[in-house]
Amino acid sequence: MKRILPLLVLLATLCLSVTAARAEDTLAAVKQKGVLVVGVKNDYRPWGFIDPSGQIVGLEIDLAREIADRIGVKLELVPVTAVNRMEFLRQGRIDLIIATLGDTPERRKVIGMIEPNYFAGASNVLAPKSAGLKSWADLKGKKLCAVQGAYYNRRVAQLYQPDMVVFPAVPDGMNALAAGNCVGFLFDDTLIESTLAGGDPKWRDYDMPLPSEDPQLWAMGVRLEDVNAPFGKLLSEMSTEWLKSGHILDLEKKWGIKPSPYLQEMRDKLAAK
Amino acid sequence: MTHLSVLCKPRRLPAIRAPLAWPGLPVGVALAFVASVAWAQAGAAVRPGPIEAILRWGPLIFGGFLFNVLTSVLSMTVGTALGAPLGLLLIAPGRLPRGISWAVTQFFRNAPWLVLLFYVMFLLPFELHVGGVTIPLPDWAKAVLGLSLPVAANVAEIVRGALQSIPEPQWSAAAGLAFGRLQTIRLIILPQAIRRMLPPWMNLYAILTMATTLISIVGIQDGLTITRAAISSDARPEMMLPLYLFLLLLFFVYCYPIARATLALERRLLVRG
Repeated sequence: MKRILPLLVLLATLCLSVTAARAEDTLAAVKQKGVLVVGVKNDYRPWGFIDPSGQIVGLEIDLAREIADRIGVKLELVPVTAVNRMEFLRQGRIDLIIATLGDTPERRKVIGMIEPNYFAGASNVLAPKSAGLKSWADLKGKKLCAVQGAYYNRRVAQLYQPDMVVFPAVPDGMNALAAGNCVGFLFDDTLIESTLAGGDPKWRDYDMPLPSEDPQLWAMGVRLEDVNAPFGKLLSEMSTEWLKSGHILDLEKKWGIKPSPYLQEMRDKLAAK
Repeated sequence: MTHLSVLCKPRRLPAIRAPLAWPGLPVGVALAFVASVAWAQAGAAVRPGPIEAILRWGPLIFGGFLFNVLTSVLSMTVGTALGAPLGLLLIAPGRLPRGISWAVTQFFRNAPWLVLLFYVMFLLPFELHVGGVTIPLPDWAKAVLGLSLPVAANVAEIVRGALQSIPEPQWSAAAGLAFGRLQTIRLIILPQAIRRMLPPWMNLYAILTMATTLISIVGIQDGLTITRAAISSDARPEMMLPLYLFLLLLFFVYCYPIARATLALERRLLVRG
């Protein structure tokens, strides 16, 4: 008991002291530390995933590396999930989120989103051709597989009232679809296209029968006070360059993602200026 | 979580009738493993099969598994260091220490492990500022602390149960020989009780080892997280079963001997006791 009580007191005080302020400028702090700590996905191919040597690789990791190179510091990658990434950022565990983070009004209250947005996806459904889906309304009352934490889940559930079956990760949902546990798999349209184009015989009798809906911008996430600070400005500048030069389109090609309409549109718009 | 329910039962020495050398279980697990590999192989005539997947990802997953083992050893050490004095206090003569230690034990023994883990992970900051000194609190340290709290409570109960199982005449005889209370515990009761503590303590350790996979839910890169990431990275959902079974087999190979040794110890105790 003598050992437990102080521990409990310590725990309680720690709980209160978590919100300790970190007021210093992040860019200066990063330069001083000599390392940029970026929260990325490691289970979301091809944006962020691991290779057999344990390295995290992917499109978003390429972007993170370019930022670290520009600042002139080393890059440290921290695998995050949809559950903990914003908390890590607020705590200061990471300096920046590049982890398939959807830019929503609710999230903007908690963290800062870098504009222009570096990517935009839309939602669609991967389904067997035999399912005969014609419109989103056909999903009503049918079992629809989805991945936990995806931003489009709630909207689809409310609008079209399918019976949502939610899985913790992409492979689990895909397995359930292949096993016939649901009529379709709700996912990013670019990823569905890439899966279908991948040539895996397993998906030969599947297609993407519905029009893509609900375009969703992705953003790099920073702490709220960093948006208008030097760190946020630098990121915004780099994002503009990437979009204008079509750099992310090149990266899409490198990682086997179909060119996304948002990136083409942004390139043309920025080039016209 | 059903395996944790074992902890809630009243602790006593079981009458062991199960033969010690029962080969059925390991053989069954091995068969299931082979069958799943064969099943996944059947659907993958063109692309590399599950054997290749296990060879490719095996070293990485094994590294993650070693992290689970390390976490279990550290949690058990911390949990025992906290739980042993707590167990002594449970049979202390004073009403106050007994009451407080009882409350602490009951709280941590009857709270879900995962919930305790969440509290410790998300309430503790990633670094502590104590008077200008920054103490980093890495995720693994927080996970060890989170797991050692329920372990401590269970160790306390093991200690209390073993001490109380020593027949009362031993106490009165010691008192008759003018031993003090602490002397009695140290010289007479503990040496007899430790033998009785060992089997349930080892049992608790085996359960803890398997429970360490809980830390994957809070984003720590343990064996389970890495296995999941590996499955996602190959974009081969059908590799899920073989890779999970590989991880399962690692845990089994580690925990089964502990279970066997526990049984052997209990049996020896039964013969002599």
